This record gives sequence, structure tokens and C-alpha cells, in this order.
Amino acid sequence: MRKIIRWVLISPLLVLTALDTAFTQDSENMPDSQDIPSSLMTFFVTSEPIGDGGNLGGLEGADAHCQALAAAVGAGDKTWRAYLSTQARPNQPAVNARDRIGSGPWFHSKARLIDYLGRQLNRPIIQSQIHGDTLVEAQRGSNMTKEFALTEHGELVNGIGDPLPNRHDILTGSQTDGRAFSDSEDRTCNNWTSNDSGSAQVGHSDRVGNGNMSWNSSHATTGCSQNDLVSWGGVGLFYCFAVD
Amino acid sequence: MTKSFILTTILALVGLAFSVAIAQHGMPGGAPMTFFVTSEPIGDGGNLGGLAGADAHCQNLAEIVGAGDPVWHAYLSTQARPGQPAINARDRIGTGPWHNFDGVMIARDVAHLHGDTLELARLGNNLTKRSGLTEKGQIVPGLNDYKHPRDGDWEYVRTTPYSNRHEVLTGSQTDGRAFTEEFDYTCDNWTSNLDPDPAQPPTGLAAGPSRPNAQIGFPDRNGGGDGSWNSSHGTRGCSQTALVRTHGVGKLYCFAIN
Repeated sequence: MRKIIRWVLISPLLVLTALDTAFTQDSENMPDSQDIPSSLMTFFVTSEPIGDGGNLGGLEGADAHCQALAAAVGAGDKTWRAYLSTQARPNQPAVNARDRIGSGPWFHSKARLIDYLGRQLNRPIIQSQIHGDTLVEAQRGSNMTKEFALTEHGELVNGIGDPLPNRHDILTGSQTDGRAFSDSEDRTCNNWTSNDSGSAQVGHSDRVGNGNMSWNSSHATTGCSQNDLVSWGGVGLFYCFAVD
Repeated sequence: MTKSFILTTILALVGLAFSVAIAQHGMPGGAPMTFFVTSEPIGDGGNLGGLAGADAHCQNLAEIVGAGDPVWHAYLSTQARPGQPAINARDRIGTGPWHNFDGVMIARDVAHLHGDTLELARLGNNLTKRSGLTEKGQIVPGLNDYKHPRDGDWEYVRTTPYSNRHEVLTGSQTDGRAFTEEFDYTCDNWTSNLDPDPAQPPTGLAAGPSRPNAQIGFPDRNGGGDGSWNSSHGTRGCSQTALVRTHGVGKLYCFAIN
């Protein structure tokens, strides 16, 4: 009897709390699901590099790395692509990272518990927003944050201020709009085949460093060996997107 | 023996504290502070006493930490009224560059701060959670910091300094200019602490007819699905408790204009 009275007293409170949560768009208090990666996962940062500097075995090698890491956590049924551009060569046109990844929107490896209306209130990243296709989109930004850019295991990638080594330099070979560079300088470690000389354009997964916030085109490395990448604050990680 | 040891230790510690203080102020950039996020709100919601009241708050907080020499302005826009043109936040803050408490540059100039060209906007400025410091050198608690079921409740937030309070009042569009629509984006040009009529249909966090509202941004660049530092979304109203419900307390960005 006493229990019933207690529930009668508590339940309106619970309902009110639930309603308040539902209507507060910015409420981030919903607990995460225990299922990591979430079945919604269509984006991750590689938890580990290939490990041979800028030599990824070309785009095929990089895509295979994405696919293998995804498969290892049970997300291998999707088609995964590495977010990388390659530069034009004789008889070989440039490839733009943004054109390789489908249309999105993309969700990271964590999902929130489904609320009583069936919503997971999980904000994705949007193609036009991450590339800032219009001036207002570029000024406003996207949901690509350090806390969004998780590995396939749902873990944060170490960035500025975290314990060393810093892993925030993410290989992209791309301009801020997600397209390949058109000049003659190497920005892709010779289209992801060099572990020696050359240079790779990188972004920062924690959005900090080099005086800008770019996630995909903050600066270039000098050299393409694994040690060269480490000296700049990365280990050769890259972004993986599901295209379907 | 013991006494002199204690004395030496105390002197050493005092020396250490002094050098730490020196090292923090103006390091590593070596530039004096010309930008900060207010450590405290005025506390009356969106009623800041107009631009003059907000500017005075910036100036006062700067003076308390010995940085009162420059003229400080709050980064706020006001909307056009009959016989009174709009004021754009971007036109109130001088020309830059602006540096934070640590001497780290936030932006080179107005164009860099706002991303006036596509390339500048895509790259972004240097305002991050780590650089968006208060006048005391504190990081502003942001999304996911010390989550608590009551972190949208002013009675809890006012006594809990580390919970999320990252929504900073700007009343501005992403380009730093005032809104031209007639809806309220500035809590009636920073004079209102009113909330929408409860009978009004809810419009989420968007501005609407006869709806007291302020546009906000995030120094931690995380929230609203976009992380805009100056123009992410609106508020639930203009009272102090309404600002807190979406994780703001009424903080302001302050810039030294000279």
C-alpha cells in the first residue's frame, strides 16, 4: 500500500521530467546505448593506422582498412570508403574525397537510448555542412567535433591537451571543400603510395591546432614516413564513411 | 632547524606561485588579453541594461583582474527600431587581432573571426574550448562537462561552477550582423527578462511572433548540431531561468576595441 502511494506521488514527476527532456532540444543528458558501435554507425575515425606512413596502398588499400576495422566490430555489411583525395596524373583524373563517401547524413559509433517516442536524438554530420558549401553553412559549422569523431570502438581520438601521443592529424589530401588540390605540389603522399618523401594534407579530428578549426584541411606534413607523420601530431589515421 | 626549513619551503612556494602567475599571464603569445568570455553573467537573463550595461559588465570584470586599461565592448547586436538603426556586433569590437588570457590569438581581424570568405569560414577562427577563456583564465564548462539531471536548473547551476553553461549571448547572425527580421533575437535589445506566454504554441528554439528570445553561440564549439561560436540557435525565453534551461547563464564575449 505504501509502495503504491509512493508511485502515485512519483509518477507525475517522472512524466514531467520525460516531457521536459523531450522538448529540450539541447538536452544531452540521455545516456548512451550499450551497443557500440551502434547499428546506425556510418562514420568513424580509424582506431589504428595502417602503420606505413603515407603509404596506404592507394585508395584501395585505405578502403580495405576501413572495411576491415568495421568488420571487426560487426559493421562490415556496409560499404566503407576512406575520406581521401588523389591528385591528377597523366591519364588519371583527380579523385575528390567528398565524392567518394555517398550522400549521408552520417552517424558516429554511439547512439543514445531510444526515448519513449522512439527517437534517439543523435545529431549526424551533413555533407554540405562539413564542407561549408554556402557561406552561412561554412560560418556556422557542422556537428563534426572531437566528441563526434569517434573510432569504430566509440573511443575518443587523442588531441591537443590529451596524454601523448597526439593522434589528431587525420590524413585527407583534400582542400577544405573536400576536393583534391589542383596544384603540382604533393598533398597526398604520391596518391597514398609513399612512405618516404612527399607531403600529406591533414585535418584535426579535435578541431584544434594551427590557428584554425579545420577537420579536413588544416596543414600539410613534411615527409610521408611514419615518423614524419608522428612528428606533426598524427599517426596516419583517416576518416571512414559508409556510402550506403 | 625545523623553523628555517618551513620558512624556506614557504618562500619557495611563494616564489613558485609568483612565477606561475607571471608565466600564465601573456604566455605563450606574450600578447596582453584583448578577448574574454565573462566569468559571470549579469544575472537578470536577457536584460543586460542594453548595450551600455553589457559593455560596463565587460569593463568591470576586466578591471577586477587588472585589465581595465583598454575600452571593452560586449559582442552583441541590437535590432532596428523606429528611429533607431540596427547595431552589428562585428562593428563594435575594433579591428583585432584579439588574444585571450593566455596570449593565444583568437582571430587576426574581423574577417578571420567571422569567416567573411568561403575559405576563411571553412578553415574557421581559433576560438575553441581551450582558447575561449574567461578573464580569469578559466575554461567555460561546455557540452558533456559534469552532466547532471539538474544542469538546466538555475538554482543548481548558480551553485555548481563546473556544469555546462556554454551558451553565450550574441543576438547576431553568423556574419556578426544583427537580424533583419522583426522577430526578437536580442531580448528586446537586451532590456527584457520576459518569457513567452505559456499559452503560446511552442516553437522550439526558433524565434517567432511575440516571443522573447536571444540568439546564442558556443565557445566550446559544440552544440546545436553546428558548434557556431556566435549564432547557433535561440533560447526558451529571456528570463534567467529560461536561459539556463538550454545550458546558458547569460555570459558575454568581451573584446578590447583599442
